Amino acid sequence: MSLDLRQVLPQVEQLGQEAARRSAETAARLPQAIQMLSEAAQLDPEELRRRIEHAPPTTQPARPTDEPIDEIFPLPAHPPRLRVLAADGSQVYPDRHGAAFFYVVNVGSIALAHGSGLAPQVHTRSRLHFTDDDLEDTRGHPVDSHLINARRDAAELEELARLASERADGPTLALLDNGLLLWAASQEQKAARPDVQRVLQAYLHALDQLQAAGAALAGYISRPRSAHVVALADAAGAYPGVLHGLTDRLLFGRRLSPLHRSARFRHPAKINEVFAERGHEVHFFYLHTGAQDGIARVEVPAWVAEDPDRMAAVHAGLVEQCRLTGIPYPLVRAHELALVGQDDRRALETLVQAALIRHGIPGLLSQKAQTKRWTGRRRRHRI
Amino acid sequence: MTRDSSSAKEPGLSRRPEGSEGGGRSSAPAPSQALGAGSDEGRLIGRVTRCNIQGFAGGIRLTEPDLPTFGGLCRAPAQSGRSQVIGLIYDISIEDDDLARQLAASDVPQDEVRLDQQFVRPIPIEIRALSVGYHDGESYIYDLPPQPPTTLADIHSLTSPEVRRFTESFDFLPLVLTAQQLPTDSLLAASFRQAALARPESERRAFLVSAGRECARLLARDLARLNNLVRSLQT
Repeated sequence: MSLDLRQVLPQVEQLGQEAARRSAETAARLPQAIQMLSEAAQLDPEELRRRIEHAPPTTQPARPTDEPIDEIFPLPAHPPRLRVLAADGSQVYPDRHGAAFFYVVNVGSIALAHGSGLAPQVHTRSRLHFTDDDLEDTRGHPVDSHLINARRDAAELEELARLASERADGPTLALLDNGLLLWAASQEQKAARPDVQRVLQAYLHALDQLQAAGAALAGYISRPRSAHVVALADAAGAYPGVLHGLTDRLLFGRRLSPLHRSARFRHPAKINEVFAERGHEVHFFYLHTGAQDGIARVEVPAWVAEDPDRMAAVHAGLVEQCRLTGIPYPLVRAHELALVGQDDRRALETLVQAALIRHGIPGLLSQKAQTKRWTGRRRRHRI
Repeated sequence: MTRDSSSAKEPGLSRRPEGSEGGGRSSAPAPSQALGAGSDEGRLIGRVTRCNIQGFAGGIRLTEPDLPTFGGLCRAPAQSGRSQVIGLIYDISIEDDDLARQLAASDVPQDEVRLDQQFVRPIPIEIRALSVGYHDGESYIYDLPPQPPTTLADIHSLTSPEVRRFTESFDFLPLVLTAQQLPTDSLLAASFRQAALARPESERRAFLVSAGRECARLLARDLARLNNLVRSLQT
């Protein structure tokens, strides 16, 4: 064991003390945050908008919608039939120490017809990327993890769009285990790259298809860390900055009763403007799923947010699907179907090596990769 | 060492291994119904995780309808694919599964979730098989293989034609009867029932009678076991 626990032990104790101090400090400020959110709700909407626009850009306050910002919504009735779709993806990044340079995107999905009494249908779509187009970006640089992640995110959404286009008996709820904004495109430097733009267009096209299919699309974020609503309350107050350090999850953990949801807000990220231009502006709200530590952030496109039936399907459907596993059961299964485990990686590596040898190329790992294998057992520690 | 041509249609091309001689006097009645045969024809049912000359174990995730059956025959490649070790499945275990445990301990699951867990979601299983012969590319040889399968070799169940050809000879029986700490009587009974179902209905009774006679010959000095095996065949 190369980690010296004796050295770490005092630091672990300090970590516990620090976490307890931080928790007590934030808990003491929560009533103030709730009060400030209520006061912000009383402001004239134009005045609230003006204060938000004057907030430091780094704080990214949430933008209000037609729903009062301090409103709480109870659980609506669950439709008798609801087709729940979920997709999740995983990837194997290229390894320059491996036998060949390639990467894999693996998407798992499930279609569960709630109320049908039928077994769900599951799919796994695995794709090996190995061509020059796959492995180099338009600048001729080797593909990086941001671009691979973006392609994986697009593949997840395309899989949902494919499933949503199938005929369904009753409404359809389509779930992603993530936010709805394409992360790679949300970073300005990366968004400018033609490769990212191409993925973004594919992603937006999949959103078009989901909208046309009539699905209620939602991105589910478990244990969110964002503070957009806190930033809104802070920006609306007389002393901006007093709520620094609080998160929306803490705020709504205190404010929401089980199974209730918060008001909707518009996502403040810059990339949301691109989504809005295409009719897919992203809104979000917080939901108490009923589970312990059950505050989730849920993102929906505007065409779901502004449709009461689809919003009811999202709210009631998520609560029902969280009942067994704390997070939506279809997302648990989609994740399981997508996951590429160590055994799968090794089996794939063996296949690749065999294919290389058949074609007269020595399928050798680098010396570094080989030595890592020799010492691999020593690198796995159970703490 | 004995061999039975994989292409031969008639039995009797094999020789018995030394020490397997014995007399028989019992016949096995044809069962009214048998379990599971034909449900896992030629499917991938595992990948070898550990092995020796006498047998091998394999793990995989399978859905409930694809689970292999006790007494089924399977094969795994050895010697760089030059031979196929034939295994007789004597144990199937379901490994620990955190998600299933969580669902079992929680609220009553929706019907769709229960069906998902029972019929769609692959469950981690381990099968263990006794080596009862091998195929060297030309014929079946009813003896221990020269080498065991290697790690991660695919384990497939035998198809009905393969089962018929392999069980045209009963020369694999001594390897089963002499195996230690296995439920050999129940194992053979299950294996015979599945091998019978791999045959046309008109041939099943004759096959079971022949199998019973061969067991009676081999177990002539152990009437208690013979009685147990015959009773297993009747159930």
